[in-house]
Amino acid sequence: MTRVRVTAPRRVDQSRAAAGSGTAGGSALPGGRPPADAREAAEESDAGQVFVRSLIRSQLRLAVVVAAGFLLILAAFPLMLGIVPGLADSTLAGLPFDWVLLGAGIYPVIGLSAWLFIRTAARNEARYRDLLGDK
Amino acid sequence: MNPAVGIAAFAAVSLATAVIGFYGLRISRTTGDFYVASRTVRPWWNASAIGGEYLSAASFLGVAGLILLSGTDALWFPVGYTAGYLMLLLFVAAPLRRSGAYTIPDFTEARLDSRVVRRVTSVVVVMVGWLYIVPQLHGAALAIRATTGLPAWVGQVAVVAVVCVTVVSGGMRSITFVQAFQYWLKLTALAVPILFILFVLADSGTPAVAAASTNPTGAAPAGLYQNISLLVALLFGTLGLPHVLVRFYTNPDGQSARRTTLIVLGLLSVFYLFPTAYGLVGRMFAPHLAQSGQADALVLLLPGELVGGTAGDLLSALVVAGAFAAFLSTTSGLVVSLAGVISQDLFGGSVKGFRRAAVISAVVPLGIASMTGSLALAGSVGLVFAFTASTICPVLLLGIWWRGLTDAGAIAGMVTGAVLCGGAMVAGAVLGAGGTPTWLAQPAAWTVPAAFAVMVLASRATRDRVPRTITRLMTRLHTPERPLATER
Repeated sequence: MTRVRVTAPRRVDQSRAAAGSGTAGGSALPGGRPPADAREAAEESDAGQVFVRSLIRSQLRLAVVVAAGFLLILAAFPLMLGIVPGLADSTLAGLPFDWVLLGAGIYPVIGLSAWLFIRTAARNEARYRDLLGDK
Repeated sequence: MNPAVGIAAFAAVSLATAVIGFYGLRISRTTGDFYVASRTVRPWWNASAIGGEYLSAASFLGVAGLILLSGTDALWFPVGYTAGYLMLLLFVAAPLRRSGAYTIPDFTEARLDSRVVRRVTSVVVVMVGWLYIVPQLHGAALAIRATTGLPAWVGQVAVVAVVCVTVVSGGMRSITFVQAFQYWLKLTALAVPILFILFVLADSGTPAVAAASTNPTGAAPAGLYQNISLLVALLFGTLGLPHVLVRFYTNPDGQSARRTTLIVLGLLSVFYLFPTAYGLVGRMFAPHLAQSGQADALVLLLPGELVGGTAGDLLSALVVAGAFAAFLSTTSGLVVSLAGVISQDLFGGSVKGFRRAAVISAVVPLGIASMTGSLALAGSVGLVFAFTASTICPVLLLGIWWRGLTDAGAIAGMVTGAVLCGGAMVAGAVLGAGGTPTWLAQPAAWTVPAAFAVMVLASRATRDRVPRTITRLMTRLHTPERPLATER
């Protein structure tokens, strides 16, 4: 139960509290965190904000690149079936090829994109931690 | 099919759901337990629960039915449902978890520092939830009618009653266990019968009645616009679904929210192979089911059709159980998240208010479902995705990634998306399936860009309204949790 108390949101956003909103257990954006410490101060300094902005940019760039790459592959599947003659009518292990490609072949691509994204996103965050001198 | 089989299967699933729900009652104590299972749910449990909740009537029945009707065009549905989760992982999962908010309205209010935005978001979320519950109830009506011969309303009322009992008794903690159980039940219920059918077909050497590419109804294939618009709706709609989002708060931190999503993607990918197989086998061996207008019941009827006898009855019972698991899990997930929103806005967030809100969330769509007829299940769920993609998706994406979003911009964009997409849905319902032009039947391709454009332009015009807390909020959304929270 202790861990629950540590991670559950408990503090209501100060701006909201000031505005007089009293939703119990409601939104608590800054909730669930210890009060401002050295690290939080570092993040809110001008230099810290440079790191934060660069982290957000690299995460957004990563997400857009992975999404675009996936969509390109997705678009290539039906294009390939349309362009390569006879491909749509061929069979793979007794099953029509276009069904295998669209019905099963796309899922490994989705999984691979997700795996690549998670690995790189975690790496971006590790680099940010290093920059902030936080281990 | 023997009616007793269907009734027994439904009773067994309801009983199992209720028992797991009551077990959960003993360990949920506080309001926090009720809403987000205290964020201590393990990734595998959580991922199974997400899968269980997400795989609705549309996935279990609708996808196979649509594949039977439209062949490879319909394969975009399962692909889109799965790829929607990829988009959610890329753009939303970790930042949303780090926001620490419970519900979408909590997020928009905190991000934009505005009570009005909260109200508008709440209204949209409740609309989405109700729109999404209605096809589940239509599915229940269809399943009860096709398998037991009882009147359709029996299925709808039974689903709503079981959902109310489970949600009111245990909140999200018990729901998490119920949903996780139901993912595996749904997977088994689809996998075992189709493998058995394939074995029987191969063993007896039954020749295929038709080629996979033969269209059993002779309907025209979908055009490029339709497929693209559908993909836009499914890819961007998933990340705005209220019952999907609330699941991410049960992860301990942002990185584990990502890992959970990766497991979910695996679970979904495995699951969707089976509806696809049903559709393909249906096309090749039982195309007459499409002509009799029973396409949505394909999954339920195929075992009896191709296997028959006692084995056929047993397999049918398994599929019926899986179908009801689908209706129950998606409906209860939606009811939990709607009840969270309604109770916080109307009843001050107490446990008693949550229970009252849960009953309201379930009974209203029951009324709508009993007054409306069933369209193709996968199609009507596709429209709900278009609606979320045009309303909640822009406010989430821009809210997470763009500092310039303002409260006025968010409201203008959400209202634009809701009016355009809602209008297209109403027009489509009035004109009927035959008379609706394609651009109205699949509106996402123009309503989603319109909502984004209005949101950006209105935010630009009101740029002095960017909240003062923006620096702090963006830091919180995107920086990794401090080690204290990540050590487990």
